[in-house]
Amino acid sequence: MYNIYQAQPAIIEDIIEETPTIKSFILRPQRDFSFSTGQFIELSLPGIGEAPFTPSSDPNKKDKLEVTIMNVGRLTQQLHSLSKNVRVGIRGPYGNGYPLEEFKGREILIVGGGVGLAPLRSLLLSLFSELKQYKKVLLRYGARTPKDTLYRNLLSEWSKKIDVITTVDTADKEYKGNVGLVTTILKDFSIDVKKAVSVVCGPPIMMKFTTLKLIDLGFKPENIYLSMEKNMSCGLGKCGHCRIGKYYVCKDGPVFTYDKLENIPDIWD
Amino acid sequence: MSEIYYSQAASWKNFLTELRQSFRVYVPQKNNGDYLYQEYRDPVNFSFNSYRAVQPVKSFLFYTKEIIAEDIFTRDLNTEEPRPTVVVGLKNCDLHSLKVQDFVFKEGIEVDPLYSQRRENTIFISGDCSGFKEVCFCLALEIYPHPKEGFDLNLSPVSDGYLVEVGSERGRDLVGRYQKFFQPAKQTQIEVRESKRRGLIEELDRHIKEKDIPKRTILQSIVRQGYSSDLWKNFCLSCVECGACNFICCTCHCFLIGDTQIKDRNPRLRVWDSCQYANFARVAGGANPLKRRAQRLRNRFLKKFDFFVDNLGMPACEGCGRCIEACPARIDIREILRELAKVSPIPT
Repeated sequence: MYNIYQAQPAIIEDIIEETPTIKSFILRPQRDFSFSTGQFIELSLPGIGEAPFTPSSDPNKKDKLEVTIMNVGRLTQQLHSLSKNVRVGIRGPYGNGYPLEEFKGREILIVGGGVGLAPLRSLLLSLFSELKQYKKVLLRYGARTPKDTLYRNLLSEWSKKIDVITTVDTADKEYKGNVGLVTTILKDFSIDVKKAVSVVCGPPIMMKFTTLKLIDLGFKPENIYLSMEKNMSCGLGKCGHCRIGKYYVCKDGPVFTYDKLENIPDIWD
Repeated sequence: MSEIYYSQAASWKNFLTELRQSFRVYVPQKNNGDYLYQEYRDPVNFSFNSYRAVQPVKSFLFYTKEIIAEDIFTRDLNTEEPRPTVVVGLKNCDLHSLKVQDFVFKEGIEVDPLYSQRRENTIFISGDCSGFKEVCFCLALEIYPHPKEGFDLNLSPVSDGYLVEVGSERGRDLVGRYQKFFQPAKQTQIEVRESKRRGLIEELDRHIKEKDIPKRTILQSIVRQGYSSDLWKNFCLSCVECGACNFICCTCHCFLIGDTQIKDRNPRLRVWDSCQYANFARVAGGANPLKRRAQRLRNRFLKKFDFFVDNLGMPACEGCGRCIEACPARIDIREILRELAKVSPIPT
């Protein structure tokens, strides 16, 4: 009988140190693995446990999968101590992902905070593969410090294709760019905010203030796409941990438009 | 037209005894004024349980702790075909709770293999209530103390035996296979059943009215409107976070997945979880939307009376009162609902 709780093996082919606390793991699954951008997987370390992550790689690539992980908990700490060629497990993909069809022909403002740029990278790679389909793509990204800035090389590469502006909360001596929260660089864009969509991913506090700012700027709640983070354990809408209002984040999300959430109390906790 | 048989008390006992040859048979056994399901072994006297047993019926289908994968990488579920089981003595509240558990485990984006297999292999023989416990409040949830659907067979005590109503194809097969224990019910016997049912409803209705429990139709709105009320804080003061309310509840279904290592295998386990535990909703990095006990108590009510009403069209509470009995702090779901109704601006 098919067992929904089992994983398929994947080998860690490479590990990239992105920042002092973030590493990217390039995985080669035993069988080709398909996912839509924004969907998540359950990644397990055999005998230790599993946790949800949204792949940061191009969903058009089926033989490899990249996951960018910050060292914040019991499992991620163990993942960070791994070396190449170790076998891990993956289940999924789960959840809804970003509705690319809805984005076509529109202006898209992507706002990332911290390690929240990881799922957005997968989205950007999807957009790049058919960039002409989208009217305009802008990326605004904030990290805590220059050292914590994720995908630094990629950011400059991406700025050749789309409008990219980054900022840091706190600068250091060598840093010359913008300083301030990501909300401070949400201005002066030549897009029609009434029609544009915005995609936001980052820590809850950043998502909260970014959403409020976007509403202030004139974005419609139904055009703001949020990647919610809750305790998603089974990924299947059964274990009960990730409920918000009438939704399970794992099955009804993790991507929600703000109009679905705005009347649910305490969504940012 | 319902299919109703009569089985004389001795025949019924013999029927259960014969069933043992092909099934594992569980019947409630009287224990200090309560009933506990036990596997039927001769010689055990079958005594009809007048109200629901202590154990929630989910425990036959979804175990407190079990291996859900012998190894996380083994593709197929390596389970022996479970022996078919017959559970006797469920009440209508129990049958209603199966709607919730079926919704969680058999529907949705994927089917839970273990639950479905056991559900398929379990025959439920329910019974009318012939009495009720102080904590019973099914009627407030518009659930009658006798089943109308959802059973394979249903028992109603009449003089010297039971009326046995067929509720499914499986139930019909069972009666067909063991014909010698059953005879067609007489109209007078059915009338006795109906009058007993009416009598109990009237009695239970008086009991519910004394408790002043709000009506089912307003439960969702009072739980929503009471979101910011202080009453959650007041009611959780004595909570010791034992999780008993969740574990004993027939509709609570939350579970935790855990991995372990045995030699070269990596089994995956599942254990019942409780939303009253501090780490229930915590994520790596420390964010915890249910940090405080009051938030967790409220979560239990939002899940039962808001989430399930939106998603399944019914609250995930059958008024069985098990959580009231299990709580060492005497936190009473009826009292919380009553207080919510008081602080709610909606006229009750």
